[in-house]
Amino acid sequence: MTVRTSFFIVVSVVLVSCDGGLEPIPPPEPGFAGTIRFISKTWPPPDSLINLWVFASQVYPLDSTSVLTGLFSQPQTIFLYPTDRDHVAINVDSASYEFPVPPATYRYIGVVQRFRSDFSVRSFRVVGFYIDPQNPGQPLAITVLEADRITGIDMTVDFQNPPVQPF
Amino acid sequence: MKKSYFISVVFVCLGSQTFLLGQVKTGSLAGAVKDVETHEPLAGANVFLRGTFLGNVSDIHGKFLIRNVPAGVYTVNVTLVGYRSQSREGVAIAEDADERIEVFLQQAPILKEQVVVTASRYEQNIQDVPVSIATVSAEEVAERISITLDDALRYVPGVNMMQDQVNIRGSTGYSRGVGSRVLVLFDGLPYMTGDTGEITWETLPMNQIERIEVVKGAGSALYGSNALGGVINVITREIPSDDEIAWRLYSGLYDTPRHGQWVWSDKPRFNSGGHVSVSRSSGPMSFLGSISRSVDESYRENDVYHRWSAFAKLKYFLSPTQNIFLMGNLMQRSHGNFFWWKNLSEATRPATSQLNGNVDSKRGNVSFAYKEFVSQGFFYTVKAIYFGNFWRDDSAGRVNNVSASHVLFGEVQGTIQLSPWNILTLGGGANYDQVSSNIFGDHPGTGRALYVQDELKVMEEWKLSFGMRYDWQRVSALPAASQLSPKIGVVFAPDNATTVRASFGQGFRYPSISELNTELSTGISAIRIVPNQNLQAERSTSYEVGVMHVLTDAMMIEAAIYQNDYRRLIEPSVKVTKRVDGSDSVFIQFDNVTQARIRGIEVGLRCEILDRMFSAHMSYAFNDPQDLSDPGRTDVLKFRPRHLAYGSFQFRYDHMGAGIDFRYISRVERIDELLVRFAPIVNGNQRVPIRVADARFSYDFLGVGLPLRIGFNVKNVLNYHYVELIGNLAPVRTYLMAVEGIF
Repeated sequence: MTVRTSFFIVVSVVLVSCDGGLEPIPPPEPGFAGTIRFISKTWPPPDSLINLWVFASQVYPLDSTSVLTGLFSQPQTIFLYPTDRDHVAINVDSASYEFPVPPATYRYIGVVQRFRSDFSVRSFRVVGFYIDPQNPGQPLAITVLEADRITGIDMTVDFQNPPVQPF
Repeated sequence: MKKSYFISVVFVCLGSQTFLLGQVKTGSLAGAVKDVETHEPLAGANVFLRGTFLGNVSDIHGKFLIRNVPAGVYTVNVTLVGYRSQSREGVAIAEDADERIEVFLQQAPILKEQVVVTASRYEQNIQDVPVSIATVSAEEVAERISITLDDALRYVPGVNMMQDQVNIRGSTGYSRGVGSRVLVLFDGLPYMTGDTGEITWETLPMNQIERIEVVKGAGSALYGSNALGGVINVITREIPSDDEIAWRLYSGLYDTPRHGQWVWSDKPRFNSGGHVSVSRSSGPMSFLGSISRSVDESYRENDVYHRWSAFAKLKYFLSPTQNIFLMGNLMQRSHGNFFWWKNLSEATRPATSQLNGNVDSKRGNVSFAYKEFVSQGFFYTVKAIYFGNFWRDDSAGRVNNVSASHVLFGEVQGTIQLSPWNILTLGGGANYDQVSSNIFGDHPGTGRALYVQDELKVMEEWKLSFGMRYDWQRVSALPAASQLSPKIGVVFAPDNATTVRASFGQGFRYPSISELNTELSTGISAIRIVPNQNLQAERSTSYEVGVMHVLTDAMMIEAAIYQNDYRRLIEPSVKVTKRVDGSDSVFIQFDNVTQARIRGIEVGLRCEILDRMFSAHMSYAFNDPQDLSDPGRTDVLKFRPRHLAYGSFQFRYDHMGAGIDFRYISRVERIDELLVRFAPIVNGNQRVPIRVADARFSYDFLGVGLPLRIGFNVKNVLNYHYVELIGNLAPVRTYLMAVEGIF
């Protein structure tokens, strides 16, 4: 090996190093994200699908009172995605979502269908939720921290076979 | 020169008589060691009288002096890395006379004459070793201005550091130092803490290192627990025979990061320190004392450390065939508790919970060694070490966790030359540990071991070695456990230029007291840690075939192919269970969860040209780390890189030296996402390949008669930003300057 060859090797390895490596990324808005998978051919008729939300509750177990309190009282403990007037994509096989929420532990995350026009708990039903893989049938809690966007909160919705209702 | 099968201080006729030096007439042997061609003085050459412990190391002027030599006729051996060893027979030492000799050494192909001790527990040439072994010399440590020992290991082929956690051929994952799978020895004695079983790099006295030997692959057949992935032996230097004061000062300045968001302080941040050592010899006794101080202001917030340490070594010749060593080391350190960053936008700031955290530690050891040549063919040592550790962490002045551990270890080893072709090594050891901690509990531990190794030279070209070790261990009231670890090695040297080796060995590691017993409800992480007293020892089996070939006197290649199988690896696992009220309980528990297989190749090239004015050492290691825990599929093992490529290029001219080191480590493909999520480490999954270049320059003033050397280094010269450990930005570009001298 000559001095020239070695010099060439040194220069080469130095040149490939010229990107600066890690760079700052803007801190994410706290929240969580994932994909909702809809089991095909089970979509309800439009008149019984007034809204379809992802909801996240810091409170669990739930009842009618705690749902309304959580939604409308301050500090709010139950949140809807995208908004109370909007809904996630419908009549699709799957829908991705990114749900910004305040930092806290969310003990129940689910997809809720509003099937009647009045805005009461009796008009809502849960059609899917974030399941504890080690304990199917039970919800898995997540803790969202400041500047923390948790990914992989995936859920499956089957309108024909909704899960046990949490409220 | 004809190679010696059993080199160094071995088994030459001195007879079994022992006598106190004060009772016999003695003389001295003085002289100089020089290069045969240039007649330049050679520093660092080992000069010793065969069959005795009498010897010395040549100083920067190439001179040596061996005092108190009983009158007689001796064979003088002279060895120096990079030169052919030389023996001078028939050197007569008369009573009260100063015999003088001059030794001229001839350059040899690099490494061919290198002596190592760790692979077989006695000194042998590196080409006689059946396993892969790498060394780091004191000169490399000094030139790179390595401040702690982990820093000195960053360019060892096949080795990568995850911050302060060493990983030999992918042996180690993420454990924050708990339960190292690499055994560290301090002059051959185990040097792991009693509570967490971790390596405390900063306690090892960098200024007293002769060399570091890194044995790759399972080594429990000789060294017992922890030698799962390899063994690192830190060998301290001999005490100079002349009275001497050596000192060194260094100061480093951290540059600013490339990105303004990461600048957290408007003041320059320094990393400075120094040491002074005094050595004195008088009659049969020599003594060295050293004190050092380091202050690192760090490039990160709440990452500052202050360290005081002291080291002392005493050597006493009872007779030319018997000596005693006493060694002590004490370190006091206070440092900020930066565990991981706040997030990648604030990568130089710790997570909010760690902002006021601090750790105080006091660590110290005392060791003893007695060595004796009993006869021509029998040499034995008795060694013991006490290693004490105390640490506590606090947040904003409130003490959180405290641990005190005490390890007492002793061993006896005999080496017997049964015939010129057969060397038997056997020994036994015992240890007693005691841990007292609010998070680990109060636990005693005890262990015993017996080992034997036989090395046979079957023909001129073939050497075989067989070994076996039995270990027994009990921790607290848990059931006792025992392990049997065999090893086999073969070395075939068809000619003077080629050595082919093959080895099989097994390793194991008992779970540390912290892995068994940690109970921590709050702390650095948001999740608690719970004990698991059902942990079993993890085990490994290593297979390796290697070759070393000298292409020319100036060029050598090395290659190895290996497979390491790991069973029952202990990993921290994030677990989620349901409480009675239906809510989730998330916790970390150490568990035997991982089966793994790591296959790999390692190739290296060393060359020296233009009369050693230019030298280069390049290595590449490929690892295929497979996680076989799930029988249905094979995943990449977490936290292990696949590719490691290192290069060191050195230019020397007269009294000047300059060099550049480069290391490339591929991006770790898989990490523990659950750990990132639940710890939580915000942006903890952000990582890139490691591409770091260090540049160095040094100049010594020996040419003008001054025993002084200055060094200037720029570490991470490209200011490349990366992580070795998730959530921990590695050091930014750092300018370091060191001045050292000897009087």
